[in-house]
Amino acid sequence: MYQILLVEDNADDVELTLRAFRKSDFVSTVTVARDGVEALDFLLANGGPADRNGDGLPDLVLLDIKLPRVDGLQVLERLRANPRTKLVPIVVLTSSIEPKDLLTCYALGANSYVRKPIDFQQFSKALQQIGSYWLETNQAPPPPG
Amino acid sequence: MWFYDRTTSAIIDVNDAALAHYGMEREAFLRTPAGELGAADASPRADGGVFQAVSQPCDLGGRALVLVTLHDVTALREAESALARAEDEQRRQTTEFEERVRERTVQLHSAIGELEAFSYSVSHDLRAPLRSIAGFSQALIEDAGPSLSADARDDIARIVAAAGRMDHLINDLLTLSMVTRAEMTRESVDVSELANRIVAELADVSPTRPVVTTVASGMVARGDPRLVRVALENLLTNSWKFTSRRERACIEVGQIDSDSASPTFFVRDNGVGFDPVFADKLFGPFQRLHDASDFPGTGIGLATVRRIVLRHGGRVWAESRPGQGACFYFTLQ
Repeated sequence: MYQILLVEDNADDVELTLRAFRKSDFVSTVTVARDGVEALDFLLANGGPADRNGDGLPDLVLLDIKLPRVDGLQVLERLRANPRTKLVPIVVLTSSIEPKDLLTCYALGANSYVRKPIDFQQFSKALQQIGSYWLETNQAPPPPG
Repeated sequence: MWFYDRTTSAIIDVNDAALAHYGMEREAFLRTPAGELGAADASPRADGGVFQAVSQPCDLGGRALVLVTLHDVTALREAESALARAEDEQRRQTTEFEERVRERTVQLHSAIGELEAFSYSVSHDLRAPLRSIAGFSQALIEDAGPSLSADARDDIARIVAAAGRMDHLINDLLTLSMVTRAEMTRESVDVSELANRIVAELADVSPTRPVVTTVASGMVARGDPRLVRVALENLLTNSWKFTSRRERACIEVGQIDSDSASPTFFVRDNGVGFDPVFADKLFGPFQRLHDASDFPGTGIGLATVRRIVLRHGGRVWAESRPGQGACFYFTLQ
């Protein structure tokens, strides 16, 4: 089963994302981190729940930019600076289309940048595409170490 | 004038004008050593006159003398001090001006910063609740659809549609803010190619609509390619939209005064047009001249076009009659 870490502070967005994944055609377990600190604790300190690759890392991280405490850009920077997490596929999932945010995310090593559509059908479709591409089509990097 | 012996400093003779200048009797003057008189020459007299003593060595029958002549330089000194005062004033004004420019620049930067923060939070914070509104309304249809009445489903569809319109509005406002803030370049822009590409994109979106488009070839402008594209996109999208009721929709992109350094470009259509009374209202944000149910839109497109044209130092205007199409002109100089 695929492991996804969803880093999202907005409870409604969490609910809509989980809903979209429930309807998707790949099977996944979604862990939710409510802010940047929780995300970093999960990825850097804690190995997390039973994981497929035995490396303690999720197969995909969906990262919002605007987060309480430690924001998404800082999370991205910290993850890319750490040898353990520097290759984990990270898709930025945000409301922002500020050119500055796009540039910063790609410069910090995000694998993809997706703006959340307002329409739920489109939102579901976007998540379905992200999941099927990053979990099924894409060849993941070999586990670290 | 007066003169003295260079070796002994003894004054030999003096004229009346010099005596009057120093305010001394002849006898007393002749007894004064020449060295003590020098200091008096630069300082102004009681009557405000300024004199300058000029010493010239000369030779009289083998005796080395110095001839001292007194020159009235009052006017010269006054002119010099007036000049100095004027220069001081100019320096002060320049400093003050530079200071003001610095202050304004700081204010401007802070205004731009606020604008950026504002559009950032518009793009992020306003869209989040909108997604909840649209998302959970659609979820409601999915979860409870069969048990809902047709009216209830219609109500929910209206909520979803309204959220979609508001999303458009936010995106259009963000574009308007982007064209205001974006750094501008001036490059050669192939307007013909750009117009052809936009027309092809519009045709892709609604392939069943037969629209006859004519784009003049060889049109070139100097401007920011991204901004010019946004402007043309808005004008062509409008033409596309407002010709939707025509059986034979025609859209033409061309230029007049093509020989001039700043050609005027135009986008003309045979759509519904508008009442020329409102021609100057068209370009204000949120101005709509048509019912939203007839022709949907946010009323921000032409405001965006005008902002782009103004940033290029150009002009935009429109001509129309109701029912007889519209023609939008713009320059980019």
